[in-house]
Amino acid sequence: MKKNSLTIILSCVAVFCFCFLSNSFAAKKKIVIGHPACLSGKYAKAGEQAVGGIKACIDWVNTNYGGVTLDGKKVPLEYKYYDCESKKESVTSLLGRLITVDKVNVVFAPYSSGLTLRGAPVSESNRMLYMDHGGANNKIFTQGFRYVVQTIGPATAYHEGTLNMIHMTDPEAKRVALAYEDSEFAKMVMEGAETHAKKLGFEIVFKRTYPKGVTDLTPLLSALKASKPDFILGGGHFEDGQLFNRQMADLDINSNALSLIAAATLPAFYEALTSMAEGVMGPSHWEYGVKYSKSEAKKVGMEWIGPGQDEFVALFKKAVGKDTIPDYHAAEAGAQVLAYVLAVEKANSFDTDTVRKALGDLTFMSFYGGWDIDDSGLQVGHSMVDVQWQDGKRIIVWPREARTGKLVYPIPTFAEKAKGKIATP
Amino acid sequence: MFFEQITGNLIQGLVLGSVYGMATMGLSLIFGVLKIVNVGHGAFIMVGAFITLWLFNTLGLSPILAIPAAFAVGMLLGLLFYYTTMRRLIKAPELASLLATFSIGILLEEVIKLIFGSEFRGYNWAVGKLNLGVTVLPMSKLYACIGSAIIALLLYIWFNKTRAGTAMRSVVEDSEGARVCGVNVDGTYAMSFAIGIGLTVVSGVLLTMFIPVGINPYMGGGYTLKAFVIAVLGGLASPYGAFFGGLVFGLIENGSYMLFALIPGVEPFALTRFLSFVILLIILLIRPTGLLSTK
Amino acid sequence: MKTISKYYPLLPVLAVYFIMFLVGKNVSGMWQLVAMLLFYCALGQAFNIFLGMTGYVDFGYVAFMGVGTYGMAVTITQLAHVEGLGFLVITIGFLMALLFSTLLSLAVGAVALRLKGAYFAIATIGVNEGLRFFIEGARIWNGSEGLIFMAELNQILGRKTASALATFWADIMVLFIAMSAAYVTLLFMRSKIGYALTALREDEEAAKVMGINVTKYKIIAFITSACFAGLLGAASWALKTPYVFPPEVFEIHYTIEAIIIVLLGGAGTLLGPVIGGLIYGLSKYYLSIYMPGFQLLIFAPIIIVIIVIFPEGIIGMLKNRFKDTSLARFII
Repeated sequence: MKKNSLTIILSCVAVFCFCFLSNSFAAKKKIVIGHPACLSGKYAKAGEQAVGGIKACIDWVNTNYGGVTLDGKKVPLEYKYYDCESKKESVTSLLGRLITVDKVNVVFAPYSSGLTLRGAPVSESNRMLYMDHGGANNKIFTQGFRYVVQTIGPATAYHEGTLNMIHMTDPEAKRVALAYEDSEFAKMVMEGAETHAKKLGFEIVFKRTYPKGVTDLTPLLSALKASKPDFILGGGHFEDGQLFNRQMADLDINSNALSLIAAATLPAFYEALTSMAEGVMGPSHWEYGVKYSKSEAKKVGMEWIGPGQDEFVALFKKAVGKDTIPDYHAAEAGAQVLAYVLAVEKANSFDTDTVRKALGDLTFMSFYGGWDIDDSGLQVGHSMVDVQWQDGKRIIVWPREARTGKLVYPIPTFAEKAKGKIATP
Repeated sequence: MFFEQITGNLIQGLVLGSVYGMATMGLSLIFGVLKIVNVGHGAFIMVGAFITLWLFNTLGLSPILAIPAAFAVGMLLGLLFYYTTMRRLIKAPELASLLATFSIGILLEEVIKLIFGSEFRGYNWAVGKLNLGVTVLPMSKLYACIGSAIIALLLYIWFNKTRAGTAMRSVVEDSEGARVCGVNVDGTYAMSFAIGIGLTVVSGVLLTMFIPVGINPYMGGGYTLKAFVIAVLGGLASPYGAFFGGLVFGLIENGSYMLFALIPGVEPFALTRFLSFVILLIILLIRPTGLLSTK
Repeated sequence: MKTISKYYPLLPVLAVYFIMFLVGKNVSGMWQLVAMLLFYCALGQAFNIFLGMTGYVDFGYVAFMGVGTYGMAVTITQLAHVEGLGFLVITIGFLMALLFSTLLSLAVGAVALRLKGAYFAIATIGVNEGLRFFIEGARIWNGSEGLIFMAELNQILGRKTASALATFWADIMVLFIAMSAAYVTLLFMRSKIGYALTALREDEEAAKVMGINVTKYKIIAFITSACFAGLLGAASWALKTPYVFPPEVFEIHYTIEAIIIVLLGGAGTLLGPVIGGLIYGLSKYYLSIYMPGFQLLIFAPIIIVIIVIFPEGIIGMLKNRFKDTSLARFII
């Protein structure tokens, strides 16, 4: 009996020591990215994309790039993620585990500004680099966090490109209508759009919001129709964007241009609306077809890293096991992996402060486009593209240097579209 | 201009309200007979929406044909959940039945998500539009409105003219008394729950005829909350009261927007929602039996 | 001796909390998990004071947490520029949270408590949703943009203290809230209030006939429960989470979670919500680690089975089993 228990204790100690040793041994052998991902709950859609994008880029770094160069040796990346259910309570508890138990070297924030903010104090107090690919709220970067770094562009910039484009295409257009979802993110986009529109000399003839989870927009859209805008900017999330477009068609509200954030850039948008979506635009952080490449980077004198666009798409498909083109949620999360890899190589260390400093000095280009942050960690180097649905395909129409086709302006009316007219230049 | 717009809104509100009313009848029926609030109501609406979408996209069937299919599926789901769960909870405290119906809702959502994914979908049933001058009304909305009215009428007739309907009414009035008079109370419970769920799933079809986009596993939550307000307007326990409650609700939601828009510095759309909940509270306090009751 | 034995049932509750604290403090990587568990336990205990004792289902319970969160958040943002207040701001914040939740519970209690059963449940949902849309629609406290206030916290307390507050001391506050909720629950159970509420839960009409002032005791339990919710909101959703967005603090899912926790452990028992919170939090945590993406699919049928098979909850069941043994005085 006594002997038995002694053996048990000894073997426990042995196992423990082994775990401890192998753990500290392993820490030098790989770099671990931790991620409390949103795989279920309200952000499941964007969360799945992000996980796919991260997996794709890690795959590229480990196989094509050979790993991260550290002290002349190649170190592979590892990805550790849990499902936070899109809930704040789970974000912090999983972060605690990632940082102390899994001993990750960097944490990727969960999707949305709220969840990003919930995790920030915990990563901050653990002196852990916290990279934000899904929280667009500008105010995250005025809170004094030291280790929060953004890859997604700030919310206020979403509709700036669209306004520039219309301003240059049609100097006659003056009347703009703004109709956004009443949420922290969409309100910030609206604020940015309003300021920029005024700067360009547009007149804001309509400015209203609709609550989250709305199922009927008729009263708002009738009022919008009465204000006779030249073009309409709006949206908020996925479902309300489809509703917005559909009910505009139902009420026969036509304008020269319609741009909706979030919803309009997804393939499901056109599948749901078919011809009604012709000519509808949306700003996007990244879209399949953008012309960022190694040679393009060379032209503008920027460093290049990462897979080419088609390579990324192929790796993404492999990672999620589905034959779908990734959307921008995947691309921005993937680009974040590349930013981290470059910064670690430049710093030649994975110490948080050193890497954070290297990230501050870093400017590079990848399939996702430019990447550069200001002192607070806010993304300033990435410009958004504008996508327009033309004949069932997503065509990048802005900015000029990245475009894959010409802008259709004004777009066909809903009556014309119902008869089969498509938006082609 | 103002009046033109408000008339247009009210017409739209009436059409929408009829569908909302229809979407609440199942909730009221179940509460009336079983005294159970179905918190998973919206999930059953979502099931109806997916049935329509699936039939339309894979078999090319018109949404009108989806109505009987949805009713059958709803009845089956209703019987399944009644005999596995709800039957044991009829005499249990509210807490248990509220949580059970809520969990059933989550279960449906997650199963549908597993089958169809979390994408936002839609379908395009092009049947033309009706221009009324003050506003434009797509024919699909009109069909949804007429369909709702017909179903409400059928339910009314069934309730008042058939034996099973009378039995159901007697259980609503006094379940013990009905039992004494030889009514099969347990059978009536099962029947009511099944019909209630059937109606709710059908309303999912009609709602997608009204709004054929944004169909996804989690779309039901907003409808559950709306259904509560409407059910209370109609008296909570009365299915056709709920139908008229829906009409009133549609008018309030669409009409009040214009009035709130006159106040500067507010978000009128959110205030229309606020108003509907204020009305809910007022009615619960003053006349918990509903607006239309004579009591 | 008699007075001490009165507090025996608190022992297992405090023991559980003490063990949680020790595990969180000493096992590395566990503190944030313990913080989540404490939150769920506190939520269950606060909710149980009203629901467990009266049987009334307050579906809009989360509204009290919401206004409590706003009480703290508004205080922090408003007083940030006043020099030298330091921790006084946090104290004022808690007082504001108490004030807001008391006011709301008085308003709701005065009107909704006249309703019964499902009518009460729906009315409270109405209060919660109505309040949220009022804040968004009338643009109160910055409307839907909400408040983000880590910078203000840094300004008031200094970076280091603010960070420690958000990652450690806020959780300790939750622990204190949970323990005081347990104490108050026991106090209620052993006093006139408890007996009156038990009579009410069994048969409200009979209790009235017997001359018990039902309304008074209902309102006392309601306000107490609401105040704990307000404090919990202030600690966990304002101090630990440096932002408030209206849709997130009025999210009805938290009420559902509270109901699940209470029902799992046993409604109306003292130890129940603690055990319920532990089981709920731990199973969620490990499911999300080992089966990411499928928690709800697994959870929903389990809950249904639990409701159907043992509606009294775990502690309710244990209570019956140990009815006449020496363990009985520890488990109520």
